[in-house]
Amino acid sequence: MPTATAAAQIHAPALLAEGISKAFMSGDQRTQVLDGLTLSLDAGELTLISGPSGCGKSTLLAILSGLQKVDSGRVQALGSELGQLDLRALERFRLQHTGFVFQGFNLFPALSAFEQVELPLNHMGLSRNEARRRAQQSLEEVGLAHRMRLRPSELSGGEKQRVAIARALAKEPELLFADEPTSALDAANGQMIIDILHRIARTHGTTVLCVSHDPRLVVHADRVLAMEDGRILSDRRPAAPAASDQEIPS
Amino acid sequence: MVALARKTLIYEWRRFLPAMLAVGFAGLLQLLQIALVLGIFGSTSLYITGSSADIWIGYPGTQSVGSGRTIDADVESHVLMDPAVQRVEPYIWVDGDWRGPAETGGVSVFVSGIDPSADGLMFSKALPADLRARLAEPDAVVVDRSVLDQLGVSIGETATINGHQVRVVGISSGLRALGGVNVLCSLDTARRLDDDPADAGPTYLVAKLRDPGQADAVAARLRGDTAFGPYTTWSAKDFAKISVRYWLFDTGAGAGVLFLAGIVFLVGAVITSQTLIAAVNGSVREYATLNALGVGVGALRKVVLEQAFWVGALGLLGAGLLGLVLMLLARSQDVPVVLTVPAAVACILLVMGLAAVSGLAAMRALRRADPATLLR
Repeated sequence: MPTATAAAQIHAPALLAEGISKAFMSGDQRTQVLDGLTLSLDAGELTLISGPSGCGKSTLLAILSGLQKVDSGRVQALGSELGQLDLRALERFRLQHTGFVFQGFNLFPALSAFEQVELPLNHMGLSRNEARRRAQQSLEEVGLAHRMRLRPSELSGGEKQRVAIARALAKEPELLFADEPTSALDAANGQMIIDILHRIARTHGTTVLCVSHDPRLVVHADRVLAMEDGRILSDRRPAAPAASDQEIPS
Repeated sequence: MVALARKTLIYEWRRFLPAMLAVGFAGLLQLLQIALVLGIFGSTSLYITGSSADIWIGYPGTQSVGSGRTIDADVESHVLMDPAVQRVEPYIWVDGDWRGPAETGGVSVFVSGIDPSADGLMFSKALPADLRARLAEPDAVVVDRSVLDQLGVSIGETATINGHQVRVVGISSGLRALGGVNVLCSLDTARRLDDDPADAGPTYLVAKLRDPGQADAVAARLRGDTAFGPYTTWSAKDFAKISVRYWLFDTGAGAGVLFLAGIVFLVGAVITSQTLIAAVNGSVREYATLNALGVGVGALRKVVLEQAFWVGALGLLGAGLLGLVLMLLARSQDVPVVLTVPAAVACILLVMGLAAVSGLAAMRALRRADPATLLR
């Protein structure tokens, strides 16, 4: 394992992908999106996957988060083999362990910020009070304590994305996936979002996997994976002082 | 629990309005149709339901009140001998041809010859006591308010039925008939108006029992004796049913009602399901996000079904209120509308069934809520 760190050797990685391949058929055309990719991610880190569009980074995110199946290879998340879970079990796994933040904020127009965050918690079997406590706490954490009674139409883009992050965060997930979370936002808001994601990784010990082609994010990530043509080209640790740049031979 | 279905319905009411209107109008159409049919065809059993007789005695095989034949007058004493019977009176039905003072041509009338005494059974619930008393005068008749124009007559005027002169002594309401006009008179007057020499006895005998609960048993007991020529007996409830059923089914009207109910259901379900599907499609990314966060497809389906339920309930409420107003309006115009509890329940079931079917159809649109599609 070329990317193994000291920490990962002691603890099992939060996310582990081994030799995963995925191809899509469009008509007679077969497109190999992922090609024997191997990857392991550690808890408490913000990992950024960057690369040109069509390089397979979103597909990789979908597979690592259990939204899509692999053609070959295996994915292990928090010790569970995702390939062996059926649809129902995958839903349950996602409910208990994962959070998502998407490029579009995907908030229900009818619900207030507080209700957006509370809604998924209702399905986790939490008590009403616990759900409300967590919703409150998460919205405070993303700095929206004073805006939580407002509906999406009354919020700015950056605020909407912070609500979406709070919605994911309130579930207290071990794994947090973010797909282009800043690409619909201006620089200041994008900066704020990546700061929040980074802080979540640090303070909650969450494994944060962020897919983006936004170059501004690179400096904030603990680890940057550059992808192209379904393979990882480089694996860097920009923030670490020394010896973290490491090329993976493909 | 965050009430996603209800909050969305309220916040995006414009989106759901077509579905509510479709459900509401389907319910309203159905309600009014049933009320009208019950009202119109219910009038064919008015002779029974408007009277306080518990047992009817008439010619065997009679299919509706209007199609009776005479029976032997001596049956009356036979019936009276039964200890359960409190009172028996004859009822004479005569099909007549009315010629009024105004230019109306001939009008087909159903003459009901009844006992005009104060404790008479026939039309005891439909005819006010003072009007009944006035029928005792020779050649006096009472007609319904709604048919005065049709008969070309007003109170106090004379006309002829089957060539015999009659005089309108009173005007009542709630005496409308189907396929003709009801004219009430005394038994003696009716006998004079009947110009068929073959008609010797009464068309029916009606009896009141000491215990109305015994109607079925007494009717069965009085049946089958042929010493006085052919006759049979029915409890009033059974005879009313036979009469209404004859009009509903033997005339094809019932098939028409069911056919229209089917059409209303289909059109309502198409519009409602399309609206609900559009609503689901409009929120498909949000639903997909919830599914990505682990909220099961089953829970999302429940949201869609709940919306369908509320659409149905609100549509029904609107239909109920509007239907009530329209029915009161119809009543005030002497349009016969009747709504029974089973009919109202049938309407509610139809409308909620329509909403449920639409909700199930809309649930299929949730298949597009695949969270993987959000990552592109």
